Amino acid sequence: MLNIFKRLWQVNWAEQWQYRANLIMYLLYWLVSPIIYLSVWTSIASAKGSVNGFTAGDFVNYYMILLIADQFTSNIVIHNFAYKIQDGSLSGELVRPIHPMLTNTLVNNLAFKALILAGFTPVWLVLTLIFKPDFSGVTWQGVLLSIPAMLLGFIVGFLLSAAITSLAFWTTRVYSLHEFYFAVILLFSGQFVPLTLMPKIVQDIAQYLPFQLFMYYPIQLILGKLTTAQIIQGFVVGLVWLGLSILFFNFVWRRGVKQYSAVGA
Amino acid sequence: MSPEPILVEQLSKTYQVPEREGGFGAAVRSFFKRKYKDVKAVEKVSFRIEPGEVVGFLGPNGAGKTTTLKMLSGLLHPTSGRASVLGFTPWERKSDYLRSMTLVMGQRNRLSWDIPAADSFLLNQAIYRIPDDEYKKTYKELDELLELEPLMKKPVRNLSLGERMKCEIAAGLLHRPRVLFLDEPTIGLDITGQARIREFLREYNRRTGAAILLTSHYMADVTALCERIIIIHHGQLKYDGGLTDLSRKIAPFKLIGVMLSDADSHDLSRYGTEVQNEEDMDKRYLQVRADEVTRVTSQLLADLPVHDITIADPPIESVIEQAFNQ
Repeated sequence: MLNIFKRLWQVNWAEQWQYRANLIMYLLYWLVSPIIYLSVWTSIASAKGSVNGFTAGDFVNYYMILLIADQFTSNIVIHNFAYKIQDGSLSGELVRPIHPMLTNTLVNNLAFKALILAGFTPVWLVLTLIFKPDFSGVTWQGVLLSIPAMLLGFIVGFLLSAAITSLAFWTTRVYSLHEFYFAVILLFSGQFVPLTLMPKIVQDIAQYLPFQLFMYYPIQLILGKLTTAQIIQGFVVGLVWLGLSILFFNFVWRRGVKQYSAVGA
Repeated sequence: MSPEPILVEQLSKTYQVPEREGGFGAAVRSFFKRKYKDVKAVEKVSFRIEPGEVVGFLGPNGAGKTTTLKMLSGLLHPTSGRASVLGFTPWERKSDYLRSMTLVMGQRNRLSWDIPAADSFLLNQAIYRIPDDEYKKTYKELDELLELEPLMKKPVRNLSLGERMKCEIAAGLLHRPRVLFLDEPTIGLDITGQARIREFLREYNRRTGAAILLTSHYMADVTALCERIIIIHHGQLKYDGGLTDLSRKIAPFKLIGVMLSDADSHDLSRYGTEVQNEEDMDKRYLQVRADEVTRVTSQLLADLPVHDITIADPPIESVIEQAFNQ
């Protein structure tokens, strides 16, 4: 199995290199919205002194870490898988004795991340020079804990995206569905606004949803803003969602493959 | 090992195809309530293929050939019926099954478009757990027959259609499958390329004893490789048997070609049905029942100024076409 992943890595890494320009577009896309939110919120906070206790500096710290968390936890499953179901090119992968999603697509996402990280790092460093975040509150315990947290976030996010992408077995409109899913993430992950600034009811719901694992939870871990109880709760909620997303993905995938009509050649 | 590699019983596949009339009104209506039409792609097809057999799977476009191949390779779930290949139910998609068969379809399948075929080959080696020495041996054989080496280092997107097909077939055979499903394996190849693939498949079959089920639009593929053919039309099995028996059963006719002086002035209708032969406009052709041939020939020779006469089997294409239309 290790050998399979090694070869898949070589193939996918080489493929990603072929699409360097494409990668730069992705990188820009990824940077734009967090930077806009950052700019908007910091200017509001500077004008009013603070927003519910969040100063301009707090927003800068939050969004600078968000950029990192987003890099590690996000995925592009919808973009590199849905079309294969729709145009039938999945057939070639389905006749191989390995799981198309959990091997090839997973490795493809990782290769994509590895390469984009290379472009992201210098950009992030330049941004720190511009926005001058204050990371004095960051602890090494927080950073260490954020690694398994982001890993959990990535896996749960990957499986949920994979399940939603697999709906392409039934509908050709899966992209709009995914857009809606994206909007939900935007709201409940803490990207649009840090969750602590949301109405109480939204916060109460968000802490039991998987989306905070993608951004809010690891950011707060790194910034050292969570109590021990909150840290434990975050991991427990994450592990429960890991189980649920495995079940959900399996459920959709198994039925989807039965539904597959292998169109085209 | 199971006694027969392929056993198919009453296999059926019905697709639900959304349908609507053209026009704006229909588009709006279909948004709320979609109408579906059942399309029976394959209907109660049964056959059995023994180890080492090479079987040609024929039928016009849309007959259900590819759908059947997709079911047998585990890509599609049938609507009803059973199939067993090497003792496995294909659509359960067990790894052991997928490792012992191959499906070669069209142009795009096993090779990654953007990288050289060599990398995809190594990936397949890992996926199918092929030991190094066995891989080298198989690759060498494939290279001898298909002349792969010059193609291996180029990105697949830069290969010609025929070169890509060679690589696709080779990639699909690296793991030495015991059952081969080939959908149009020679499509896009020139005459030499086609002949080479044919020769290769015959050799592969001889060396490994693998069973092969192939579809092709090139009759030469079928006549060169298959002793047995299965014909389906509108999803139903029309014929299953020897290629040579086919003409006898479906079209027990011979073609008599005669070259006559002042050819157009004679009425041939009392000797048999006159047919066109595009390839030979110098002669006039008569379709005559096989048991009548001797009598008609001697009559023609006695009655008419015959310069030349030939007796031949009707071309396999036209026989098969007759089988479709029955």
